[in-house]
Amino acid sequence: MPRGPTRDKRRTYKSKDQKGFPLSSKDKGIPKHTLEGKSDLSGSSEEEGSEGVVQADFVFFDPKPDDFHGVKILLQTYLDDTQWDLSGFVDLILAQTTVGTVVKMEGDDDDTPFSIVTALNLGRYKDHKCIKELKEFLLKVCQEKDVIRDLRLLMGEQAHDVGLLVSQRVVNLPPQLLPPLHDALFDEVSWATEDEPTAELRNSFRFKCYLLVSKIYKKNNRNLIRRSGSDGGDGIVYIKPEDENFHKLSLWSFSFPMHAQQVETQEASNIVVCFFWF
Amino acid sequence: MATRLMFENSCEVGVFSKLTNAYCLVAIGGSESFYSTFEAELADVFPVVKTSIGGTRIIGRLCAGNKNGLLLPHTTTDQELQHLRNSLPDQVVVQRIEERLSALGNCIACNDHVALTHTDLDRETEEMIADVLGVEVFRQTIAGNILVGSYCSFSNRGGLVHPHTSIEDLDELSTLLQVPLVAGTVNRGSEVIAAGLTVNDWTAFCGSDTTATELSVIESVFKLREAQPSALVDEMRKSLIDSYV
Repeated sequence: MPRGPTRDKRRTYKSKDQKGFPLSSKDKGIPKHTLEGKSDLSGSSEEEGSEGVVQADFVFFDPKPDDFHGVKILLQTYLDDTQWDLSGFVDLILAQTTVGTVVKMEGDDDDTPFSIVTALNLGRYKDHKCIKELKEFLLKVCQEKDVIRDLRLLMGEQAHDVGLLVSQRVVNLPPQLLPPLHDALFDEVSWATEDEPTAELRNSFRFKCYLLVSKIYKKNNRNLIRRSGSDGGDGIVYIKPEDENFHKLSLWSFSFPMHAQQVETQEASNIVVCFFWF
Repeated sequence: MATRLMFENSCEVGVFSKLTNAYCLVAIGGSESFYSTFEAELADVFPVVKTSIGGTRIIGRLCAGNKNGLLLPHTTTDQELQHLRNSLPDQVVVQRIEERLSALGNCIACNDHVALTHTDLDRETEEMIADVLGVEVFRQTIAGNILVGSYCSFSNRGGLVHPHTSIEDLDELSTLLQVPLVAGTVNRGSEVIAAGLTVNDWTAFCGSDTTATELSVIESVFKLREAQPSALVDEMRKSLIDSYV
């Protein structure tokens, strides 16, 4: 796969990849992309089919400073309801143009991001206020003793080998986009280990492991109502389907209850899980 | 003086609070630091009241008020209404109105003398506004947006409007409102002025993303810098002292 300068990289990937995006009827082998009705987020740029089917083209972009507000909204509850330097965190993500993807809709005047995916080296950014606060928060909420030791190591001495995987999107983003989105991220990380101008930067992308913070639903013990097929067997419902795969592959994980959202149905407590894998 | 603060990681302070010249409403459930920032500025002047409206925290966008009165949407519960009537000063008339457009804070922007409203507001509501708030009502749009309450914020001394407002519109609005207006942004380029900022005649609160430039524009258009006692004395000095010997 040709690797030009950062700006062109995005374009080349898009046109050559037959498996993915933009998802429109002209792609071979991919069924016409349909989004049922839930188009309020997208604004005015779709045409409505006769059965209420909406067609939408999504485009992947490098992060840029203009995306600040949209990305901030997506990451609003990243660390539950703690007050932390979220603006600084978003700035960090947007400044890293070599690794990271923002998904937008084609022809959308609003230019709102639908999803943000990126990997941040914890060691490279360890002096930033937001990263310090993130580390403090995770160390504080981790209740499991065997995990906390590893976590402390990760945050401390081994920080330069750790990539914080940030992946957040609107709930109804089409799942067809996920494989190319994640492929893109890992491709960019490997390209960055070769393309970055300084040796230090190149090394900062040689991640030995990734850390993921994500939201899930865990069934409350007192509720015996079951929804068929919707839980992962151990009572966990994954909001993002790829989280289930990541969780299975992870070396360790822990979860803690969220305060920001109170859901009063079967899954009474939303819990955030922190993964780690190689 | 303008203060920067956050409500639970959100910089939209104008959504979770309502500030006027006679009272201040603050949403419940935020961290204590949100409430105490308001108290620190205002407690010795008038009550800072914690409330919800219709069980929600977005009180700034649901209600509209000034020093004369407070208008609440039909979704306000009886307990909330009673709580507000008890907590606010007696001269403030608290009224719940039946209006289809229930986000009154988004539909109505007002100071103590003039109000700008959404073009589709009921005639009855317009009369209520004029009556309860004691203002002159004008149906207007701001930069083509009908939600005037969201895209502009003005006090008795100045106002800030949507950044894409044309010069002609600015002049027209300025004549209507009889205050100087400036087109600008808040919270690092956000166009929804009233969501990011809440202001009265001597103080303002805005989201912590607000840049130093935006803050200085806010302080200058709302004349907050001159709200210091020393500024008053400096101005008076010229008229008090005839000549130096």
